[in-house]
Amino acid sequence: MYWLILSAALWMLASPQAGLAQTNETCLACHQVEGSKVRFPGGGEIDVTVDPKKFAASVHAPLTCVTCHTDQADYPHRPVKAKTARSYHVLAQQICATCHADQAKVFEASIHGQGMRMGLADVPTCTSCHTAHAVVRPKTAAFRNNIPETCGNCHSDAAVMGRYGLRPVYQAYVEEFHGVTTRLYRLVTPLTPSPSAVCYDCHTAHAVRRPADPESPVAPANVLATCRTCHKEAGRFFSTAWNEHQAPSMRHSPLVYMVQVFYKILIPGVVGLLALLTALDLWFWAVTRWGGRKA
Amino acid sequence: MRGGRGDSAVERFSLAQRVEHFLLLISFNVLVITGLPQKYSGEGWGERLIVLFGGIGQTRFIHRTVAVILVALGLYHLLVVVATRKRPVRRHDMNLSIRDIRDMFADLRFLSGRSQERPRFGRFDYRQKFEYLAVLWGTVIMAVTGLIMWFPSLVTQWLPGVVVPAARVAHGGEALLAMLSVVLWHFYNAHFRPDVFPMDPAMFSGKITVERLRHEHPEEFDELQELGMLPEGHSPEPAGNPPAPTGSGTA
Repeated sequence: MYWLILSAALWMLASPQAGLAQTNETCLACHQVEGSKVRFPGGGEIDVTVDPKKFAASVHAPLTCVTCHTDQADYPHRPVKAKTARSYHVLAQQICATCHADQAKVFEASIHGQGMRMGLADVPTCTSCHTAHAVVRPKTAAFRNNIPETCGNCHSDAAVMGRYGLRPVYQAYVEEFHGVTTRLYRLVTPLTPSPSAVCYDCHTAHAVRRPADPESPVAPANVLATCRTCHKEAGRFFSTAWNEHQAPSMRHSPLVYMVQVFYKILIPGVVGLLALLTALDLWFWAVTRWGGRKA
Repeated sequence: MRGGRGDSAVERFSLAQRVEHFLLLISFNVLVITGLPQKYSGEGWGERLIVLFGGIGQTRFIHRTVAVILVALGLYHLLVVVATRKRPVRRHDMNLSIRDIRDMFADLRFLSGRSQERPRFGRFDYRQKFEYLAVLWGTVIMAVTGLIMWFPSLVTQWLPGVVVPAARVAHGGEALLAMLSVVLWHFYNAHFRPDVFPMDPAMFSGKITVERLRHEHPEEFDELQELGMLPEGHSPEPAGNPPAPTGSGTA
């Protein structure tokens, strides 16, 4: 009798979810099958495959599936509330907010959060940047070094950006000094955080605001202070170097544009002239050698 | 090159000048090979070179270290130019004058066969002067724009920030121009020209044969003759037309 009570108590302590008869292995038995999809009546589908290796490597590995998917504990699963894939992702943010309430609050106040409340279809949800089941610690080098591509998923897409009166900025960033440096550091030292600025260093991560917002760190009045978080000794004109991720033109950074044009003319001009002189000299040698001209 | 008294030679470049040229050669090449992959870092070959150098941090370190050496070399050179400006031989006769423009057009007429007389060149001909000034000018541009990129915080205490991205564009453009000019112009004149192929040894041996000197730099030949600085057998002849063993164009 004593042994029976003790083993029952141990069994219950060891597996708190045991009453629901659910362990990650149970879920993964089905969900690791590739190509498992859920179709939504209102449109869209979601791949419900979970790679056990990626999940085990994720920061959430100690959690059980039903820690987040509380309403999917039973099998057969209850139908999901969301009518579309998009609304599933939007609703899923509440799951993240259960633990990450601070970040959720900051996000709500951001321009992305505003767009979310307005129901805009392209606004990122938590999983757009962090993924659902392969979440890594945001402080890791891998996450930081990949930030330009994370943001660039949307901010390189002219069609998506155009809907909100924005320009794609990713392409300009990767050509800028910060972007080139980050890209090149990644080549040899992917496991060292890039010392060069990535998107969130200036724009923040969850609190992104439009640059015109006076509270934005990249608002005209705040840019210099933002530069000085890294460039401690930045001169007072430092931030006027900033061209807002635009290609130089007569309207934006005209000096840079004029230097570009200058070399676009000078290089072919000089090289062409030298090629002509060389060709003429060779011609002279040729007619001296074979054409019977006296040298 | 041609027969005759060809073996006797005079010094064209001092040892110091040859060492200087050698250091310039090395630093220019290192700067090109560490700089171009930074300009074209999006290309596969650019990435591979940067990986080869041990990453962008090391690439920049090498580039900047060698750049400092080149700038020091340039300052030394200017110092020597000022100090030796009155030297009678091995002068830095590089000042461009209207005569060089005239020489160029006269030479173009000669090369294209519209004239049978080649202009009489001095210690340096117009091509060498243009190239020298291009190197000088290019080094100044590269040093200034490079330093702006290296110390943006300092520079923007006095100058508008837009000079930093402008310097970046100019640095890349000037680099490309310099590299293409050297590959095309210097390589042709010092390596691939039929009379010097595979290379003109003057900058490494420091010597030029009297025959070549008389043929390619007739005015300097005359000057050295007057100074009595030509080897035995060449002086002291009266200035003017030496008995030409070949039908050369030195007239």
